[in-house]
Amino acid sequence: MAQPRRAAKSEPTSPERAREAGRLSPAAAVVVAWLVPGAAHLLLGQARKALVFFVVLLAMFGIGLGFGGRLFPFQLSDPLVFLAAAAEWALGLPRVVAAFLDAGQGNVVSPTYEYGNTFLIAAGLLNTLIVLDARDLALGRARR
Amino acid sequence: MTSHLGVMILLAACLAVVFGVLLRDEGADQGRLSVRIFVALVGGAYLLGWIMSFAFG
Repeated sequence: MAQPRRAAKSEPTSPERAREAGRLSPAAAVVVAWLVPGAAHLLLGQARKALVFFVVLLAMFGIGLGFGGRLFPFQLSDPLVFLAAAAEWALGLPRVVAAFLDAGQGNVVSPTYEYGNTFLIAAGLLNTLIVLDARDLALGRARR
Repeated sequence: MTSHLGVMILLAACLAVVFGVLLRDEGADQGRLSVRIFVALVGGAYLLGWIMSFAFG
């Protein structure tokens, strides 16, 4: 009996296929997706999505640093700085590596300083959505 | 690139690609949604810019 052919470019969409593709617990998916953008999707069998997430988020992070954006510290005295720091830490490993490399000091006199912050914060927030999507995939939840 | 418009287009492109890929599973659907989000973001910014220009300019 002929087996149904799987389209080359199709991604797992149903819970069964997601479970089939994934060998990752929801908690592990969250941690892996947080650490490296797209990594959980790769492990869950969605290589194309993983590549897009990885490339675009790292590009946004790099552009943000290139524009002179600042990697904010957790500073409870200033709620907006605290929230910006939380958003940037949502990018995981790239944020850690940048901190070790002493990048992201922030050049406030640069005309692109605020642009840089926008890219850094947006990249982190996007990764939050990607982490939630990875968790749903690992749980086998259908998106729509 | 330091122009508002250029950076806004760059940010809109990045957001549109991620949202398009995140919210759809098929390649063609992802592309269509990405384009729609990109147009909405850039068009919305232009529209708001013109409104603010007439209102406060």
